Amino acid sequence: MINVTIDGKSIEVRPDTTILEAAGELDIHIPTLCHSEIVESYGACRLCLVEISERGKTKLVTSCNYPIRNEISVQTNSERVKRDRKRTLEMMLARWPEVKVIKDMAAFHGVGAPSYEHPAVDRNPHACILCGLCTRVCGQGIWENIISFAGRGVDRKVIMPYGEPHPYCVGCGACAAICPTGAIQMSRDPNRPHDQEMVRRAGMRVTSEMLLYDTEQCNMRGAGTAHLTEIMDAYDLLPVMNYQYGSHPDTKNLESKVFVENYLTQGKPDGCYLGCSMACAKAAEGFELKTGPYKGEIVLVDGPEYETVAGGSNMGCFDPHFVIEYNFYCDTYGIDTISFATMTSFLMECFENDILDVEKTGGLDLRFGNVSAALELLHQMGRGEGFGPIAGRGIRYLKKYLVDEYGADPYFLQSIGMEAKGMEYSEYVTKESLAQQGGYGIALKGAQHDEAWLIFMDMVNKQIPTFADKAEALHYFPMWRTWFGLCGLCKLPWNDVEPADNAETTEPAKVPGHVQGYCEFFEGVTGIPQTMDSLIEMSERVYNFQRVFNLKMGFGRRAHDVIPYRSMGPVTEHEYESRQERYDGQLMELAGIDPAGMSTADKVAAMRKYREGQYEMLLDAVYARRGWTSDGVPTESKLRELGIDFPDVLELVRSHGG
Amino acid sequence: MIRVNGENLEWRNGMTVRDVLRQMNYTFPLLIVRIDGRLVSRSDYDTTEVPDGTSMDAIHMISGG
Repeated sequence: MINVTIDGKSIEVRPDTTILEAAGELDIHIPTLCHSEIVESYGACRLCLVEISERGKTKLVTSCNYPIRNEISVQTNSERVKRDRKRTLEMMLARWPEVKVIKDMAAFHGVGAPSYEHPAVDRNPHACILCGLCTRVCGQGIWENIISFAGRGVDRKVIMPYGEPHPYCVGCGACAAICPTGAIQMSRDPNRPHDQEMVRRAGMRVTSEMLLYDTEQCNMRGAGTAHLTEIMDAYDLLPVMNYQYGSHPDTKNLESKVFVENYLTQGKPDGCYLGCSMACAKAAEGFELKTGPYKGEIVLVDGPEYETVAGGSNMGCFDPHFVIEYNFYCDTYGIDTISFATMTSFLMECFENDILDVEKTGGLDLRFGNVSAALELLHQMGRGEGFGPIAGRGIRYLKKYLVDEYGADPYFLQSIGMEAKGMEYSEYVTKESLAQQGGYGIALKGAQHDEAWLIFMDMVNKQIPTFADKAEALHYFPMWRTWFGLCGLCKLPWNDVEPADNAETTEPAKVPGHVQGYCEFFEGVTGIPQTMDSLIEMSERVYNFQRVFNLKMGFGRRAHDVIPYRSMGPVTEHEYESRQERYDGQLMELAGIDPAGMSTADKVAAMRKYREGQYEMLLDAVYARRGWTSDGVPTESKLRELGIDFPDVLELVRSHGG
Repeated sequence: MIRVNGENLEWRNGMTVRDVLRQMNYTFPLLIVRIDGRLVSRSDYDTTEVPDGTSMDAIHMISGG
């Protein structure tokens, strides 16, 4: 730490702290014009000049970008500083006499009418004052560098290359939002929002948070969602070998830094759309394929996301090259990486249990960890040959196929086949979170976590211990997350970065500051004011209508919300014994069963009976909270309350007891 | 003894918030920490001691997906 004295007050700071930051700590105000904490300091306006004394020598420096490396004494308001600051302000006022931010600052510092006429005077109240905030936010925040300075002296200006509209500029508005004078305006907006400023403020708030906090929070800009791999492993939530286990020593091979350092070498993200400051999508470039129709070719691969990496561990394949290769071929063939990985994990467990063998798979040795066999299965799916077309029909079909063709035990297959409503599970272990079991099981589209991800709230934080608590969470979060789908918005900026004051709010899990931002965003676009409750009501109407649609298509009842037991607890004795201390403790404490003297098989059965009972009680609680019957059908009164009581809808739910 | 997210944890003299997080293997970065309801800011995890007999909540925010 280094001792610094500023205007007579002392403070200890870390090396390379700027004088401006140190002054801020001491509540000492230093005027700035070109400074913003969300971009790197530039020292262009020179209004933040201060006088420093170091080893007996004094000099003027710009405080915004002067790193403290030695013990110094600082004067922020010495006569020399005041004189220089006034001179600078007078020059600015002479050049841009009508710009409000200049006029205000000049008046504050006692600068009157300029004593000379500037040769390049610009009387536009929205003149560009060359602060460079726009060029820095475009380059550092959005990674585009579309606008930059051109020209010298009085000809210096901010332009796009060659002064022409740039095809990569999508009008994200970050430059306009950060501009202190209004020199940059959104001139054409085909969406014609009700209040452009309101929309821009809401967007800029997220951009600011990303630039300020992402590095220490989720590192979405650096690693993307793949940063979750090592975290899920640490909490025993990473699916390993068809969700039998939640962690593995070889996860170190799939940690995010392995991908960032060896594969994601572009140095910039492959965002879903230009202008997104979260930009969590990544790309592996210069990747040489080892298999398949493009073997030997060098390609660029979009990804991998967390789910794709965790699909690797789920197949027991802890090989980063394999992960990117199966990512590439899934994309190329038009196959979802989650469904492929979860389905292949299921087949691998069947293979390890002698339900399948190389003869039945047409030569594929589908043991866990066999990357060659997994890729060959993928290629066969792509070509529609061999075992591929059978596997490609998914777990629900495979369960029936293996019973019909090879006499497999349907109870075991139902237990380990990780699908619900015909959709394969995404890549999280849910055994220790009853709420998340519901999150997957009740989700309208099938076993996906995008309606609710409650594992931390439930399992780690223990914030929702009762059935009523879990039901409330399984009401609020699915409705809230549905709202993003209604509006065509990405939900990651809601919960993968958080405002500085989020911890101080009463319900931080909801990130109230961001919900308010979305209310303002919606109002800015439509002109219709919103509250958190009104957004939820919007979703509840659609969500219930979707449930009715499921009902019409034969999927909307309690029987369709069943989940495989593997997602509730240990199916096999080996699985139980791998976490015996945990499960024995739970049998005693939660189920009231003393495991002493019981065989592992008996303990597995007792645990299963207890956990399956808990899941049924959860369904009861959630259906009641949502205004559905015990069969999971929206009631007539709920539909009337939501204003979706159309005659054919009522007729449908009545015919199912609603 | 202290309570961390409802679980007992052996207390030792000088134990800081960072020590507790490490011992619980709480590696997730988006955390909110409270000791007996009092908020501890992230920058103070290394220097804030968790007194014996207190209850510490390490609230993991939702992330991903």
